[in-house]
Amino acid sequence: MAKKEFSFNEAVVEIEKILRNIESGDLDVDKLSVEVKRASELIRQCQKKLRTTEEEINSIFKDLV
Amino acid sequence: MAENLSLTELQLIIKDSLYLALPDMYWVVAEISEIKENYAGHCYLELTEKHPDEKNVRARAKAIIWNKRYRFLKSFFENITGESLKEGMKILVRVKVEYHELYGLSLIISDIDPSFTIGEMALKKQNVIKRLEEEGVFQMNKEIGFPVVPQRIAIISSKNAAGYTDFIRQLSDNNYGYTFYTALFDAVMQGTETEQSIVNALDRVAEHEGLFDVVAILRGGGSQSDLSWFDSYNIAFHVTQFPIPVITGIGHEKDLSVTDMVAGRSLKTPTAVADHLIECVAEFETQLNEISAEISDNSRSIIEDNRSRIESFRMNIIPLARLMISDQKERIYDRIIELINFGKELISKAAKIPADQKSKLVSASQSFSISKKTAVDKIKIDVINSTLTLLDRIKIKVDGQKNSLNILDPQNVLKRGFSITTVNGTILKSVKQVSDYKVIETRLADGKFKSKVIKK
Repeated sequence: MAKKEFSFNEAVVEIEKILRNIESGDLDVDKLSVEVKRASELIRQCQKKLRTTEEEINSIFKDLV
Repeated sequence: MAENLSLTELQLIIKDSLYLALPDMYWVVAEISEIKENYAGHCYLELTEKHPDEKNVRARAKAIIWNKRYRFLKSFFENITGESLKEGMKILVRVKVEYHELYGLSLIISDIDPSFTIGEMALKKQNVIKRLEEEGVFQMNKEIGFPVVPQRIAIISSKNAAGYTDFIRQLSDNNYGYTFYTALFDAVMQGTETEQSIVNALDRVAEHEGLFDVVAILRGGGSQSDLSWFDSYNIAFHVTQFPIPVITGIGHEKDLSVTDMVAGRSLKTPTAVADHLIECVAEFETQLNEISAEISDNSRSIIEDNRSRIESFRMNIIPLARLMISDQKERIYDRIIELINFGKELISKAAKIPADQKSKLVSASQSFSISKKTAVDKIKIDVINSTLTLLDRIKIKVDGQKNSLNILDPQNVLKRGFSITTVNGTILKSVKQVSDYKVIETRLADGKFKSKVIKK
């Protein structure tokens, strides 16, 4: 597939990294807001992927059988 | 030369000889190489014995179980072993040798010992396990690591099996509203074709490995028997080599098949597999929510820290400003007292000069004193006013910082490589404040230095 597939694993690894960064206390307030925004975007994408049915995948699966 | 025999006569001689030579029943160990039931319910088998190398056949014989006996032996055997009589199975049977002039030699089976087959199957299973372990592949599918969200599932099962339908229903009815994608790779799940059919299905899934998170091998919905198909070395080996995790639900109560043992995960039934996959996703979501809460708690406490740092800054600056004001006040009072004393001295000096000059001097000194006093009062007010203005400015600034939350302790800002530049003690915020050759002072985290503006 040409476009980079969304990976739950990669997303959760990145979110955990952001959490560790925030916990370390090395972030200034501006960076903090960038990181928090990124984390909430990833979390939102995960939540969406868990419950939204993508017709693209459905049709690929149908063609296999 | 003796008289010629007819073929029938010869066959009958053989029949009689065999009958006399082998009058008893014999317990015989053999492997079933063919088995079929005819329309009348008689069971016809071909029994063999292989060389120890398991390839070449060294003995072969036809065998029959007559229908009446077969009905009994079949269910007796299945009840005890959980398996039906099938090709490749080793059995211990009680036989009578019979010879028929038309059909030749047959072994008529009258009894079977299921415990022998159980022992043989267990031994065979142990050998398969041992072989996989010796080849170092036994754990390989388990080592891949199960996906955090097993959402795209390749299913190897039989289209019409109850187990498959149960699985799909359980998965799509999940309480969380999760989406699952499934693709069925149809396979035969029992009988002699099982091994090849499942291996083929695994190969087909492997062609699309990138599309799937997990492969589920599902069987069941009732039938607890014939689990031994899943003790096959070939199926198990393919599972160990599979590039994505395999999860099994092949309907067993007590014993795990070898396929279950080598699979990434193994559950008892297809429904249990569906529940497990849903649980995995739910666990992931819980984890996600926990991290989310931690991020939000941590961010909140960082913001709170900044706010309280600014607050303490504000608390420190007010008493400092008060102190500055009272300092200035004292200095002004000192000046007033100096002036009064100076005035008094002038007056006492004036006492020594003539009266008219004296009165002149007195009035002059009085008006001087008054004018000085007014000037001093003005200075006093100016100082107080400018201090108050300064304090107000600082207060406004501090309040602004408090609200913006973007400001950290200036010392920390300096540590990150920023600097504060002042000219004549005033913080430099605009180029308008400097001109050529003006001396400016730069403050860094660990000290300060002065420099001169070369060109504006």
